[in-house]
Amino acid sequence: MYKAILIDDEPLARQLVRAFLKDYEQVSVLAECSDGFEGFKAIQDHKPDLIFLDIQMPKLNGFEMLELLDEPPAVIFTTAFDEYALKAFEAHAIDYLLKPITKERFDKAMQKWLAQAAANQQPKVEALLQNNIYDGYQHRIVVKDNGLIRIIPEQDIHYIEANDDYIKIVTKNGSYLKKSTLSHVEQSLDPQQFVRVHRSYLVPVGQLLRIEPYEKESHVALLQCGAKVTVSKSGMAKLKTLLGW
Amino acid sequence: MSSTNKHIRRVLPLIGLIVLAKYIYILHYLCGLNWTISLTDGSFSAAMLMLAIWGCILIIYAYPTKVGLSLYALLIASAFSLLTVFTEMQVLRWWLSDEPHYTEWFDNALAARFMITWLVCAWLATYTALRRKVVTLEKRLQQQAGASALLRDAELFKLRQQLQPHFLYNSLNSISALIMIQPEQAQEMIGRLSDFLRSSVKREAQDSIAVAEELLYIESYLAIESVRFGDRLSVQFDKEYTDDAKIPPFLLQPVLENAIKFGLYGNTGRVNISIHIVLKEGTLYITIINPYDPQSSPPKGTGFGLEGIKRRLELLYARTDLLETLKDEENFTTIIKIPQAHV
Repeated sequence: MYKAILIDDEPLARQLVRAFLKDYEQVSVLAECSDGFEGFKAIQDHKPDLIFLDIQMPKLNGFEMLELLDEPPAVIFTTAFDEYALKAFEAHAIDYLLKPITKERFDKAMQKWLAQAAANQQPKVEALLQNNIYDGYQHRIVVKDNGLIRIIPEQDIHYIEANDDYIKIVTKNGSYLKKSTLSHVEQSLDPQQFVRVHRSYLVPVGQLLRIEPYEKESHVALLQCGAKVTVSKSGMAKLKTLLGW
Repeated sequence: MSSTNKHIRRVLPLIGLIVLAKYIYILHYLCGLNWTISLTDGSFSAAMLMLAIWGCILIIYAYPTKVGLSLYALLIASAFSLLTVFTEMQVLRWWLSDEPHYTEWFDNALAARFMITWLVCAWLATYTALRRKVVTLEKRLQQQAGASALLRDAELFKLRQQLQPHFLYNSLNSISALIMIQPEQAQEMIGRLSDFLRSSVKREAQDSIAVAEELLYIESYLAIESVRFGDRLSVQFDKEYTDDAKIPPFLLQPVLENAIKFGLYGNTGRVNISIHIVLKEGTLYITIINPYDPQSSPPKGTGFGLEGIKRRLELLYARTDLLETLKDEENFTTIIKIPQAHV
């Protein structure tokens, strides 16, 4: 028996998937959730094998929710997104259903997933999340903090530091660790606002107080919060073009 | 204005030189005056004439007029010519008072002198005035071209908004679900969606429509959203207006869409949206209040909706104060004012 969870903010959309799933006796729906928070909690409680996930949802969108999961289950996205935006999904062998969802297309996605599940090979969503799927930039970062979900607005961020497999997000309310890479965060944030000044540092332009020469070919930036971060040669070049020095 | 001014400034010395040469030629060769007189009179008159022209141009640019611009230019040119010739008369008579016959000649040639001064002044003043007019007209034309480009953008954006794929696809998905579980409601929903689409297409060309009609359209939109989001969405209408109040079409829908997005995507509980419409002293006030969460970032594309409305109102009524937004901890308020006399 496979366990499934439906996450969509529209009740009718959930009912449709539930109705389609009646043909699959080997799948039982354990929970229905109407936003990313609920979804996150339900996934941790039930450890489902498969989730049907809408992307645009209140509080926490589908991608943000997935980012927070340590071991994301198999996902079939259900979305009204434009088709071109979903090219990235195909590249990672993750299935999606475009709304309005037809039974035919639904069955196809289910066959594909059942075959994968039987062979015990699940496509990994992490790789998908590394791409910036949104056409547009995020203005916040979502992190897990002692089991709680915390949404950090971009204006609260002092700087972001690379830390092995993690990134350390230093904010006015303290710092948070998130399993991600600096390149991924850099891609998702507005490049006019955040500059990768160094291999290990991503800094909001508004935080820069002044920049002083440090060693040969490198500088150090003093931030408004009082912290000092190293600026590499290429980081300096980026700052110069961005700020028009 | 500055470009014309520069243009004239560059030409003025040249005109001065030509006038000087002409004056000296006339005085010496045609009137038979000696070199001292010709040079003195010629240079002084030419200098005075240039001063007069310069004065005319400055005044034409500096002081706007309610009389026709060319008439104004002529009046100013005449005044300056009189002043110039009078000054010349006083100064030259005093300066060259020891030259025999000069005074007598001067008096005889006074009329001709005035005519020449007046002609030159009048010509240049009128020319300046016309150029100024042309420049203003060109500017206005450019503005209009810009405005109509903006309007086209707004129309395009509107169209895209009406037929926004998200809304349509999600609605169709809901209908698909209803067909399986509540077929009668599915039919109702199809009807509403058709109403909505029909009025989107139909009213594209109109400048203004009755509020009642716009509200009908809004209601069909809201009905669809209520079905999609179930009991989470509730909308209160509060209307105090006469039936002939008019509003530009498609103005309200983007605002409501924003309100719904803000409300539903920032919130998981019930969302109450209230719409208050009142006609007061020839202005229709439309107030839309929706809950919003200052913590969560607005969904994509919300800014442009309001920005677009602001620009449309600016284009239609040439006023920048017709759209107002207020935020507090819980609610986002949008106020739109539609002056009725102009519609």
